[in-house]
Amino acid sequence: MMATWVSATPWEWLAAIGPMHGWAVATAAVVSACCAMVGTVLVVRRLSLLGDAISHAVLPGIVVAVLLGGRPGDLGVLVGATAAALLTVALTEFFHKQAGLPEDAGVGVAFTTLFALGVLLVTVSGSRIDLDPGCILYGILELVPFDTVEVAGWEMPRAFVSAVVVFLVVGSGLWLTWRWQVFTAFDTEAARAAGVPTVAVTVGLLAGVSLATVAGFEAVGAILVVAMLVVPAAAAELLVKRLHHCLLLAVGLAVMGAAAGYLLAWKLNTSAAGMMAVVLGGEYLLAVLVAPQQGVLARGMSSVLYAWRVQCEDRLAAAWRAEEAGQSAPLPASLVAAAAWWWLRVQGRVEPAQSGARLTSQGRRDAELIVRSHRLWEAWLGRHAELPVDHLHPPAEWIEHHLGTRLRQRIEADLGRDVRDPHGSTIPPERG
Amino acid sequence: MNKQAESQPGHPQQPTHLPATSPLQAGQPPLLEWHDVTVAYGRRPVLWHIDLTITTPCLYGIIGPNGAGKSTLLKATLGLVPTAGGRVQFWGQPLAAVRPRLGYVPQRETVDWDFPVNVMDVVLMGATSRLGWFRRAGRRERELARACLDRVGLADLAGRQIGRLSGGQQQRVFLARALAREADIYLLDEPMAGVDASSQEEIFAILAGLRDAGKLVVAVHHDLRTAARWFDAVALIDMRLVAAGPTATVLTSSNLQQTYAGRLGILDELSDAVARGDRTS
Ligand SMILES: Nc1ncnc2c1ncn2[C@@H]1O[C@H](COP(=O)(O)OP(=O)(O)O)[C@@H](O)[C@H]1O
Ligand SMILES: [Mg+2]
Repeated sequence: MMATWVSATPWEWLAAIGPMHGWAVATAAVVSACCAMVGTVLVVRRLSLLGDAISHAVLPGIVVAVLLGGRPGDLGVLVGATAAALLTVALTEFFHKQAGLPEDAGVGVAFTTLFALGVLLVTVSGSRIDLDPGCILYGILELVPFDTVEVAGWEMPRAFVSAVVVFLVVGSGLWLTWRWQVFTAFDTEAARAAGVPTVAVTVGLLAGVSLATVAGFEAVGAILVVAMLVVPAAAAELLVKRLHHCLLLAVGLAVMGAAAGYLLAWKLNTSAAGMMAVVLGGEYLLAVLVAPQQGVLARGMSSVLYAWRVQCEDRLAAAWRAEEAGQSAPLPASLVAAAAWWWLRVQGRVEPAQSGARLTSQGRRDAELIVRSHRLWEAWLGRHAELPVDHLHPPAEWIEHHLGTRLRQRIEADLGRDVRDPHGSTIPPERG
Repeated sequence: MNKQAESQPGHPQQPTHLPATSPLQAGQPPLLEWHDVTVAYGRRPVLWHIDLTITTPCLYGIIGPNGAGKSTLLKATLGLVPTAGGRVQFWGQPLAAVRPRLGYVPQRETVDWDFPVNVMDVVLMGATSRLGWFRRAGRRERELARACLDRVGLADLAGRQIGRLSGGQQQRVFLARALAREADIYLLDEPMAGVDASSQEEIFAILAGLRDAGKLVVAVHHDLRTAARWFDAVALIDMRLVAAGPTATVLTSSNLQQTYAGRLGILDELSDAVARGDRTS
């Protein structure tokens, strides 16, 4: 057993798990792909909360459809649920616009009410329908393979067939209206001004959300379907910067999360839906860590690099000042300073001398620019900010690492020729 | 209501680069006309009885203090907020008939600039906005978008994510998106806000180019110093129309006093009362 676990290819894996689990994984993957597609647009429109609402509000629609003779997983049930979802949205709009409730509260009121109604319907109708409140919350992915229909001579799980239909409908709908989805999501008012039917676009999106949600309902339940809508999309938005890339990546993350989650749950003998949501959460955490710009690692890295540059430049400037005063360069006073020193030597900006080290001609030029920046800033602040002379050094220590050639020249022009810094030192000229 | 509200095409102080306009030719409706337009959010009116006519292509400034209703006026013009009364006409026609001939640049802060699109994507929104349901951007739209980016000087940044642009560049992206609509009337909401002085000049040059090509450019603006230099004609607005006409005659100290210092407390009070469905004290 352990051997298969470690060394098998995914293909052998699937074969080892057997067709029943295979169907469950496939259903979960298609369902989460549906959710991730619509979720991407929902997340960038900052409508995640509405996704949450819809995922709950579809319940009464499902129950009514089942009471009317539909079976869970049937397309008729999908339609009923979608109607219920759109009703939630309409109610939300009503509470917001007419009753003056804040929008988020409107969402809260509408969906909790409808969800509660659904739960009541389930319990009241009791034995007449085979919906179990537990399944509604947590899904019944493990049972999906046992309720099958025949499609073109193949026997397939009913839920899988519905999920594929939803995938095709939602996918082609998004594909065909993509241009308008992006415009509406980015700038609804300009889109409307340009004649884009933004209301239809939004209703279409929300219908897609409810379809995806209902498809996901049976697999993972009302609570975790929200994770599928929101989490892969949110992770993808951190990682890539164009909406269709976000969508494709979100789908990839969702499918991976669903498959990995199911298999892990099977191995650890725990809830498949729960494990899938946990894996998706893990993917999100990973994205937060490795995201290219706002990521924890990227930001950590850039602040480490910044601190290092400051350290090196400070050493250079200190050596220059010592030279100016006719002394030898000060010895590094800390481990970091020593490392910076060593690095400057590797770069050929300082070289060993009898009494420690001295600047090379390259190092001298670089150092001069830093000292120049420092003194220019002190002089400029001294003129334009009402600061006592002894308060000028700290800001200059900071800004010296940020001034470029052009701004230095502007500052110099502003100060006029032959200025000295407020402590009386000369300001070195620009020599690139 | 206000006699000065009618813009005066033949006015002697009119800037020379305006087309030598005859008074309204018979049978030729004005470019843009607001007839007694009143706008309310919920029940609170924020714009009262705007009556204003623009007859010639020009750079037209809408000027007034914060909260004066300038953005609201543009939105009402474009049907983005409903009017509580009055009507807007373009070339004598209602909005629905002329929408493809209008370009709109909203205030920059109304959108989330971290949104995952790049510069080209945004301009394509304008270039493709005339295509109907289910159509996707083709060669023509891409070339148009590229040409518009070139006009605003952003051709090199086509692939950059919009959040990584400076304020002036973001504003120019918005302008390029409107240009890509190939419109005849452009309505811009604070196109110079948060833009450094040199970018302001560039944007102004583009707008002046549009005007010289016979387009009408209506821009909301709040900086009086530059307004006097840039606009051919202006309307001063503070919940109601204070004055309108050629820049030099309108930007007088008494008009500005009325607009900026002397907000009519009456209208404010009245708005509150109307919103409450009540009487003023
Ligand atoms: N969506 C809105 N709902 C309610 N009141 C609004 C809304 N938008 C603007 N207002 C109010 O309308 C007035 C005019 O706003 P606006 O047109 O944005 O002014 P301006 O653009 O001149 O600064 C302000 O008092 C503002 O508070
Ligand atoms: Mg405004």
